[in-house]
Amino acid sequence: MRAWELIKETFFRRGYIWIVHVIWLVLYGSFWWLMIPEGDEFGRFIFIWGGFLLPLALSAGIFGDDVSSGRICVLVTKPFWAGQLYLYRLAGLALQAAVHLALAGIIVVVLHAIMRKGRLDHLGSWLLATWLLFVTCASLSASLSIIVGRAFNSLLLLVIVVTGYFVVTLLMAYLRQQSSGGVLMSFIRYAWPPFELLSKFAGGEYRQFSLTVGRFSLTKSAACIVHSLMLTVGYSVVGIILLCTREFSRVRD
Amino acid sequence: MPHDRNGQTAAECTRLTKVYRKLLAPAAKTVRALGDVSLTVHRSQIVGLIGPNGAGKSTLLNLMAGLIFPTEGQVTVCGHPARSVAARRCLGYMPEHPVFPGTYSARAVLRYHGGLLGLSASAISAQVDKAVQQLQMQEFLDRPASDFSQGMKQRLALATAMMSNPQLLLLDEPSNGLDPIGIIQLRDLLKQLRDAGTAVVISSHRLGELEKLTSDYIFMHRGRIIPFGDRITANQAGRLRVELVADGRSVAGRLLPASRVLETSDTELVVAIGDPEEVPDVVCDLAKGGARIMSVLLQRENIEDVFLRLCNEGT
Repeated sequence: MRAWELIKETFFRRGYIWIVHVIWLVLYGSFWWLMIPEGDEFGRFIFIWGGFLLPLALSAGIFGDDVSSGRICVLVTKPFWAGQLYLYRLAGLALQAAVHLALAGIIVVVLHAIMRKGRLDHLGSWLLATWLLFVTCASLSASLSIIVGRAFNSLLLLVIVVTGYFVVTLLMAYLRQQSSGGVLMSFIRYAWPPFELLSKFAGGEYRQFSLTVGRFSLTKSAACIVHSLMLTVGYSVVGIILLCTREFSRVRD
Repeated sequence: MPHDRNGQTAAECTRLTKVYRKLLAPAAKTVRALGDVSLTVHRSQIVGLIGPNGAGKSTLLNLMAGLIFPTEGQVTVCGHPARSVAARRCLGYMPEHPVFPGTYSARAVLRYHGGLLGLSASAISAQVDKAVQQLQMQEFLDRPASDFSQGMKQRLALATAMMSNPQLLLLDEPSNGLDPIGIIQLRDLLKQLRDAGTAVVISSHRLGELEKLTSDYIFMHRGRIIPFGDRITANQAGRLRVELVADGRSVAGRLLPASRVLETSDTELVVAIGDPEEVPDVVCDLAKGGARIMSVLLQRENIEDVFLRLCNEGT
């Protein structure tokens, strides 16, 4: 009952959440209908809208609303480990994304069948990569929400990612020939939401490669999935630690 | 301080100190909200936390609820450290300004809190029915909680706090926004809970309401508990106003210890009384000493008077 209530709450906590889902699905459909994308274009579109912008919209204020309104004070006096609050809410977001992306896939397939135009290359891989990116971004956004008030967690994450993209692009142009450029690139690639790795995985670029560490061997595609899940766990651990160690109070008298 | 009782301890605070520090702020900017506070709250006891703004009442309540950590000292709830899951099982908490999930009706809010408590579906239904009856919420059960008036929100918040049948109920300004009938219902309900063994700690500025509910007060001022003093507690202390024909000052000087004489004039004496049972003895002593008494009036000190007196003494 507890898990279900917290999962359900992620959908019903704000009146606009179902509207976001509908708008996003209409966007996917419109993109296919109007642009008639070729190859991986549609995959990239759904990857950015569903994997990055959707979690920002759905996780806006997921803890910040409670902290700002003082409702968190009631939630953390209930008899369960505070980390459950985080995990079940993240599960709620992940479940919403799974249903959302399944619907997106159905819309695309139906449109493709009706219009007989465009290609469905790697659609399954793109949907999986989108879901993985969604969960990673949602966990990062949820963790930010514990320390950033109201719904500013999403805005902050959006600003960081967009600014970071331009800054890193400029820096890489400058540091291309230097070893520090490689270090920076590795940091961006492995510690930040895995836009690059997951998009290459979804596009099928890693399919024929494998990674070997000692006796263990893993295809690069599987490594991308594991890496994305590890990032999700890492961001979540930070969020859970913050939630369990933060003081919650509206007044100081 | 609360009366000592033989019942089980519901909450115990030992030498609690709470200092609020802002990250990287200079030491001068720290706020010492509580200093070396110790108290025990027993089962079947209602304790009123009173004090001026900034006295430390909410900090004490938050520490007992496990919302903040003490800088020094410790808090236990039913023998378990505050903030532990075991302590939370014994706890019901109602904040001053309750907020509910966006689109939820009162029924959905109650079911949601039942779910968070880990109750089964049938137990949740039973608790919802019980809460609706106790707090007279039938009329607005299916309306969105976000549209509620402050009084209705308070009722709903109290219902959610009581759903776990807590051994310790912490209430921050519970009668905020309640109409007179709601206040009477709240008072009756809290008395029922007390009789059933629940300890209730209430932080409130409505002294008149508290007075009708309990005689156990904790007066706080500048982060400390101020003792009421021996027998000079609300409802027990008083002042005896004696009207005399003449010679009030000399009568007071001859017959009464100076510490007990609060005011004096030729025709009137005001004497501090620790217990109403002392009145006949005082009047008798005055009459035997030759005082010609015209009238006697016992003015009891209520909680509001005590509050003002202690505030003045504290400043």
